[in-house]
Amino acid sequence: MIKNLRLWLPVTMLAALIASGCMLVSGQFIVPFKFIDVGADPVTVNSSTSLSGVAVDLNTVDVYADHKGDLKDVVDLALLGNLTNLDSGAGLTVEVWMVPTPGTMLTTDAAVRGATGAIKVWGPVTVAASGSKNIGWDESAALFTGRKQLIDEIKGDGRFDLYALGNNGYHFRITKGVLMAVISAGK
Amino acid sequence: MRRLIALTLVALCLSAGAAFARGVGIGAFAGMSVPVLQEDVDKGNMFGVRVPVNLVPLFTVEPYYASAALGEATESVGDIDYTREGFDEKAYGVNAMLTLGGPVTFYPYAGVGQTSLKRTGFDDSFTTFNFGLGLGISPAPKLSLHLRGELQTVVDGEASRKFGNVTVGASYALFSMP
Repeated sequence: MIKNLRLWLPVTMLAALIASGCMLVSGQFIVPFKFIDVGADPVTVNSSTSLSGVAVDLNTVDVYADHKGDLKDVVDLALLGNLTNLDSGAGLTVEVWMVPTPGTMLTTDAAVRGATGAIKVWGPVTVAASGSKNIGWDESAALFTGRKQLIDEIKGDGRFDLYALGNNGYHFRITKGVLMAVISAGK
Repeated sequence: MRRLIALTLVALCLSAGAAFARGVGIGAFAGMSVPVLQEDVDKGNMFGVRVPVNLVPLFTVEPYYASAALGEATESVGDIDYTREGFDEKAYGVNAMLTLGGPVTFYPYAGVGQTSLKRTGFDDSFTTFNFGLGLGISPAPKLSLHLRGELQTVVDGEASRKFGNVTVGASYALFSMP
């Protein structure tokens, strides 16, 4: 009995060391994709037939490019920035949709919702008439609804398109937009 | 459900061990938990309780419960600072320790347990491994003071979150066989 117990400790320690050691060089890294880097700052939408999307290519972010080969998971996601309702007559509700296959940018609400693989990934968030709202990291992280699909894209080629879809007057502006992802990477 | 099963196992381990234990104590500790290579969270305070059960000479098992409030992380993008709140961490499990007697002892230990990490938009539990080294000083009968340093590995799929924990604590021997 005593021999078994004394054997158990080094075995447990070895197992813990192996479990820890195998992932010793893993870590969590922040990947900020700034909309301004693809000329999408501000993003102004004036109607449901004149959308302006954001062509995301995470490969342009050094942190992502450095860890793409050993990327294991995406552990946190947020869309940050300032959302302004340009309609003075009605409140605005905005949600963000992802089109997984980049291509010609879509310009209508119907085309985005009908695109192959398109899915709502974030929102909704509401802004009062003529109001403005800064969307912070914590609030935004809780608004992701299509995490798996977006994570799959980030773990894939890192390229996809995002579109903000609204309602009511469909007249809003997004400034200082950022897609913030936290990736787990390790060897 | 997983938490209930794990707690039951810990309780069974503790009760079974206590049934033929050479000594049982109770202790509390506090210290600092420092994330290793994690850009989305910062260091924070931790505290907890331990129940060392000395089963045979040199060998002690120690169920534990720990709680940590990890700090928020800030990332500057352009000219704006964005802040992400830290995790509220709860952990429980069992350590196995190679303990020597005497007024001053060094002891290695390893353990396995469950850790839950929670913050806005995130709430999940993970298997945890930890190992470390402790220094124990016994200034009076039944009382011992402990300084520990450990690496805590929270396994999340193919990756992991790692924390370096440094704690100080005190234990009181509820009973011990000579």
